Amino acid sequence: MKVTLKWLKDFIDIDMTPEQLADKLTNSGNEVEEIIYQDKYLKNVVVGKILDIQKHPNADKLVVCKVDIGEITQIVTAAKNIKVGDKVPVSLPGANLANGIHIEKSKLRGVESVGMFCSIEELGVTDYDGEVNGIMILDDDAVIGENIAKTLQMDDVIFDINVTANRPDCMSVIGIAREISTLTKKPLKKQDLYYETCNDDEDVKKYIDVEVKDERLCPRYMACAVKDVKIEKSPKWLRARLVSVGIKPINNIVDITNYVLVEYGQPMHAFDYNYLEGKKIIVRPANNGERILTLNHNEYDLDSSMLCVCDGVKPVVIAGIIGGMNSCVEPTTTTTILESACFDRASIRRTSRKIGVRTDSTARFEKGVDCSLQPLGMQRALSLVYKLNAGKIVKGQIDTVKQIPQDKTMTFSLNKIYKLLGVEIPKDDVLDILNNLGIKSSINGDDLTCLVPYYRQDIECYSDIAEELIRIYGYSVYDSINAKPLSGTSVTIGKHDEILHLARNLKQQLCSYGFYECVNFSLCSLGDRDKLLIDEQSELYNMIKIANPISEDIGYLRTSMANSMFNTVARNLSRKNSEFKLFEVGRVYLPKELPLTELPNEINMLSFCTVCKKDDFFVLKGVVENLLRDFDLKYKLDYSKKCFLHSGISADIIDLRTNEIIGSFGKVHPKVAENFDLSENTYYSEINLDKLVKYQDKKHSVEMISKYPYVDRDLAIICDEDVTVDSILQSVKKSCGHLYYSAKVFDIYRGKELNGKKSVAFTFRLESKEKTLTDEEINQVVNKILKDLNFRLKAVLR
Amino acid sequence: MLEQIDALLNEAKSKINSCQDLKTLNDIRVEFLGKQGKVTNLLHTMKDIDKEQRPKFGQLVNSARNEIEELLKNLQISLNEKAIEQKMANERVDISEPSKIVEKGEIHPLHKVFDKLIDACVAMGFTVITGPEVEYDYYNFEALNVPKDHPARDMQDTFFITDNILMRSQTSSVQVRAMETMKPPFKIVSPGRTYRADSDATHSPVFHQFEGLVVDENVSLVDLKSMLTQLLKMLFGENTKIRFRPSYFPFTEPSVEVDATCPSCGGKGCRLCKNTGFMELLGAGMVNPKVLEMSGIDSNKYSGFAFGPGVDRLAMVVNKIPDLRMMFENDMKFLEQLK
Repeated sequence: MKVTLKWLKDFIDIDMTPEQLADKLTNSGNEVEEIIYQDKYLKNVVVGKILDIQKHPNADKLVVCKVDIGEITQIVTAAKNIKVGDKVPVSLPGANLANGIHIEKSKLRGVESVGMFCSIEELGVTDYDGEVNGIMILDDDAVIGENIAKTLQMDDVIFDINVTANRPDCMSVIGIAREISTLTKKPLKKQDLYYETCNDDEDVKKYIDVEVKDERLCPRYMACAVKDVKIEKSPKWLRARLVSVGIKPINNIVDITNYVLVEYGQPMHAFDYNYLEGKKIIVRPANNGERILTLNHNEYDLDSSMLCVCDGVKPVVIAGIIGGMNSCVEPTTTTTILESACFDRASIRRTSRKIGVRTDSTARFEKGVDCSLQPLGMQRALSLVYKLNAGKIVKGQIDTVKQIPQDKTMTFSLNKIYKLLGVEIPKDDVLDILNNLGIKSSINGDDLTCLVPYYRQDIECYSDIAEELIRIYGYSVYDSINAKPLSGTSVTIGKHDEILHLARNLKQQLCSYGFYECVNFSLCSLGDRDKLLIDEQSELYNMIKIANPISEDIGYLRTSMANSMFNTVARNLSRKNSEFKLFEVGRVYLPKELPLTELPNEINMLSFCTVCKKDDFFVLKGVVENLLRDFDLKYKLDYSKKCFLHSGISADIIDLRTNEIIGSFGKVHPKVAENFDLSENTYYSEINLDKLVKYQDKKHSVEMISKYPYVDRDLAIICDEDVTVDSILQSVKKSCGHLYYSAKVFDIYRGKELNGKKSVAFTFRLESKEKTLTDEEINQVVNKILKDLNFRLKAVLR
Repeated sequence: MLEQIDALLNEAKSKINSCQDLKTLNDIRVEFLGKQGKVTNLLHTMKDIDKEQRPKFGQLVNSARNEIEELLKNLQISLNEKAIEQKMANERVDISEPSKIVEKGEIHPLHKVFDKLIDACVAMGFTVITGPEVEYDYYNFEALNVPKDHPARDMQDTFFITDNILMRSQTSSVQVRAMETMKPPFKIVSPGRTYRADSDATHSPVFHQFEGLVVDENVSLVDLKSMLTQLLKMLFGENTKIRFRPSYFPFTEPSVEVDATCPSCGGKGCRLCKNTGFMELLGAGMVNPKVLEMSGIDSNKYSGFAFGPGVDRLAMVVNKIPDLRMMFENDMKFLEQLK
C-alpha cells in the first residue's frame, strides 16, 4: 500500500527524514518496502518558455530554439510538437532523466545546445490522460524557471508499505498516521470535514430506498445523494495525490471516492442516479444467470454466492469489488448516489477469487473494514464534494446499521505478558504505549485493563497486547540479552526420525561409491507416466492432480522416483555431462482413490542411478547388496516386473518374510531410455525405505572359531548357459554337508571353444570343528561335489 | 703367537673396512669365523702351545673373535640400511597419478544444512518428526488460526488438490499434528518439503522448511532468541548475532522476522545484505495461545515458541549459491562444486 509524506503531514507533524520515518515504521511492524522520491528524475529540470524557433543551419530535422528559463538560453531539438510561446520542461546539465539519459552541454551539428526539452517518458511521469505526444506542453500558468517537480506537483515522497494481514486499520493514510503518532508521541491533527447541505425540503429518502437482504454479508450500508452535479476534472492537487499512490484520476466524483478510500481506508462507490431503476438499492446475492458488464470492460456471469448491490431490477455493482458500466458516473451525470458500506470480508474474498478481480476496494474489504468507519468515510466524501463545489448535497443520510460496534474493555495479567516477552517493560512505558495507540489503559496490581478501540479487531488476548508493547518499545531490547539456550525449559531427550536417520546412513554409503545426491521436485507431468510405460493396471497409474498448477510440467504428484531421476539424468546428458552417478531420497504419492477423499500413502523411497560406461548390472547389484547388508533382512532376487526396467537384466528384491518387493534394480528398459533420451547403458535402482526401516536391528550371534585349519579348493566346471550360479553354489553347499564353510564364484568364462556353454570357476572352503581334515576326506568331498553337479546340473569338470 | 692373533685381527679389520656388500660380508664371516675359518683354525693350534700359556691364548683368540663378530654385526646393520635406501631410491611413484579408489560423491547442499540443523537440535533435546506433504486444510491453515477466506491465506499461494486437501505450504502443519499427540513439555523439529504456487529466481514451487516448536511452562522470547542464536552460530560462525523485527504470522503472537549478521561481510555491510550488515533469515514467534488451545493444550499453563527457516535459503547463503534454481536442476557441474 502506498502513502505519501505530504498526505501523512495532513494528519500529523513529521520532523524526521523519510529514511528515519521508514525505519521507525519498519521496526514497529509496518515494513516500508520502498521509498520513492517523485522528483528523482526531475532534478535540474525547469520550466522554460519557447521564445523563438529557427531552422538549424546544418540539419534539416533539427531546429534551434531560444528559451526563457529565467535567463535566455539555447536548445537544439528535433521535436515537432512545439511552437513559440509554449511552456515546456527543459532539462539542464546535470539532469538524470528517467530513461537513463544524462544531460550535458553539447553541440548538435555545430550548434550549441545547453539542454533538452523533455517528453513525459523522459521525466518518468505517469500520463493517465494520454494527451501528450512528443514534448510535454505545460499549462500556461507554469512559472518560468521553476523546478518541474513543483510545477507538476511531483515533489512528494512515497512510501510503499507492506501492511500485515492482521492490521486492516493500517490500510489508510490515517491508519499509518495513527502509528506514527504512537511512535513519535505526537497528536493527530484535527481534520476539517465541514460541508453544507441544500436548504430545500428534499431528503435523500425521496431519491432512494435501500434494502439489505443479508445483514451478515452487509452489516452497514450508507447512502447520500448529490444533485446538480458538475462532472469535471478534479483539481491538480487531488489528481496529483491519486497519481502518487497509483490511482488513475477519472473525474471529480469518482476521484473523491478513491481519495476517501486511500485516506480513510473506506472504499466508496458513486452511482449515476438516473440509471438506478425503481429508485432502489437492494444489497442481495446475485441470481444465477445474472450478468454484469463492469468498469474493467469485462462481463461476468454471476451466481448466488456473489453479493451484489442492485437497483430495483439488476445488479449494478459486484459488492465491494467492482462497479457496473450500467450505472457509473459519466460526464452526463447530474445526480449521484454515494455509497459507504461494510461488507463481510470472507464473502468479498471468495467472490474476488472466483471472478479473478482484485481492486483497491477488495484489498481493503478482504482484510476487514470495520462497520464504524462508514460515517467517517461518507463525511469526508461529502466535505470534498462541498470543497470542490462538485454538486449540491441533499439533506439526510440513509444508514442501515442496527448495531454500532463498541470499544471492548479487556483485562490482562501484566505478569503473564512479561513472562511471554521474557523482559519487563516499565509500567509507565506500558501505559504510555497503549494510550498512544488509542488503547486507554490502567494498571491495578497485576491487572492491566484496556479499552480496545473498535478498529483494533486484532486484539483478543494477552499475547496481542504483548506484541503491541514490544513492537513499540522496540525489539532492540533483546539485542543485548544473552541467555543460555533453552535454560528456561524442561530437560527433554533428543531423538532422530527413524526414516531420516536410516536414509542418512544409506546416503553416506552411496556417496562413498561415488554417487551424488540430487533433489528433484516431487511434482511432475502426466506425460512421464507414459514415458515410464506405466499401464492402467499398475498401482503407479493414478497420479494426484494439482487443481491449480502453475505449469503442466509440475501439475501432478509423482508415483515413482524413476521419472524424476531419468529427467535429471537426461538434463545432465543434454548438458554434455557424462559418466556420473546420482541418488535421491524422496517420497512418492499413491492415492487410495481418485478424486482424493483422504490423504494418499506417502512412501519414502531411495533411488539411485549410474550412467558410467564401466558400470553394469553387477556393479549395481554389489551396491544394493552392501546397502542391504546392514539390515536384518532375508531376501531373494527375482527377475523384476517393473515396467521401466529391462525384463532380462533387472531384479526385484523380495522380502522372504512378507513376500513383498522391497526394491528393484537393473538396466533401464530400452524403450524407456529412448523416451527420456537416456543412454542405453543406464542402470537404476529404488528401495522402499518404509519397508526397510522395520529391519533396522540386525542381530548377530558369534560362534567359536574352529581350532583346526580350514581347507580351500578351487574347481572349474562347464555347464549350460541357463544353469545359474546360484544353483551351482547351492549344489556345492549341499554336497559339502557339515564340512561346508563357504563357496563363491570367482570367474565365469564364455568362449567359442565351449560351444555356447560357460565355464564357472568357484572356490570353496571346508572346515571341521573337531579335527584336521585329511586329504582323503577332502577328496571325497571334491568327488561328491563334481558328481552332484553332474547329476543335478549336467555340469562337467573343465 | 700374539703377533699371529694381531695379524689375523688386522687382516679381518682391513677386509671388513673395505667390504661394500652383504655377499662379501658373508664371505668374510666364513673366511674368519666359519668352521674352517682362520680364527677357528688358530684355536686348533692351541694344542701346540705351552700348557700355562693356553688359557691366555684362548682368551686372546676369543676376544679377537668377539671383536670381529661385533664389527661384522655393525657392518651388516649399516649395509642393510644402505641396501634399503638403495631399494627405495629405485622405487619411486609419480604421486600426482590418479588414485585407484572410486572418487566419493557428495550429499546435496540442502541436506547438508538439514543434517547440521537436525544434529544441533537433537543435541539440544529436540525430537525430529515428519508429517504428510499432502495435507488437510485443517492442519495447514485452520488449526493454525487461518480460517477459510482469512486474509492471511494470501501470504502464501497454495496448491490445492481438492477443496479440503492441499500441498502443505508450510511445515507448521506438523506442529499441529505434534501438539495433538504429544504432551507438553516437548521440543520438536520437523524438516521437510513444502509447496507454493510461486516460481522465480528466489521462489521455487517446491522448497524446504525446518520447523521448530517448543512448548513448556514459562517459555519466552528470550528463550527463542538464545536458541536461534545458538543454531545460527553453528551455521554461520561464532560471531553471528541475531536481531528481531516485528512481523505477522497468524499462528504466532508476537511474531518476528529474525535477521542474522550477514555471513558474507560479517556485519560490515555488503551488496548481499544491501549494506545493512544483516540478512533476513527466518520467521518466528511465540505460539498464539489460540493455536495451543485449538490443539488441546492449556494456554494458561503452557506457552511456546516456534521458528521456521527456509532451508533452501540457508543453503544458498552458506554455500554462496547465486541462483535458487541451480539447487533443483542437479547439474553435475553444480553438484561437483560442492565436494
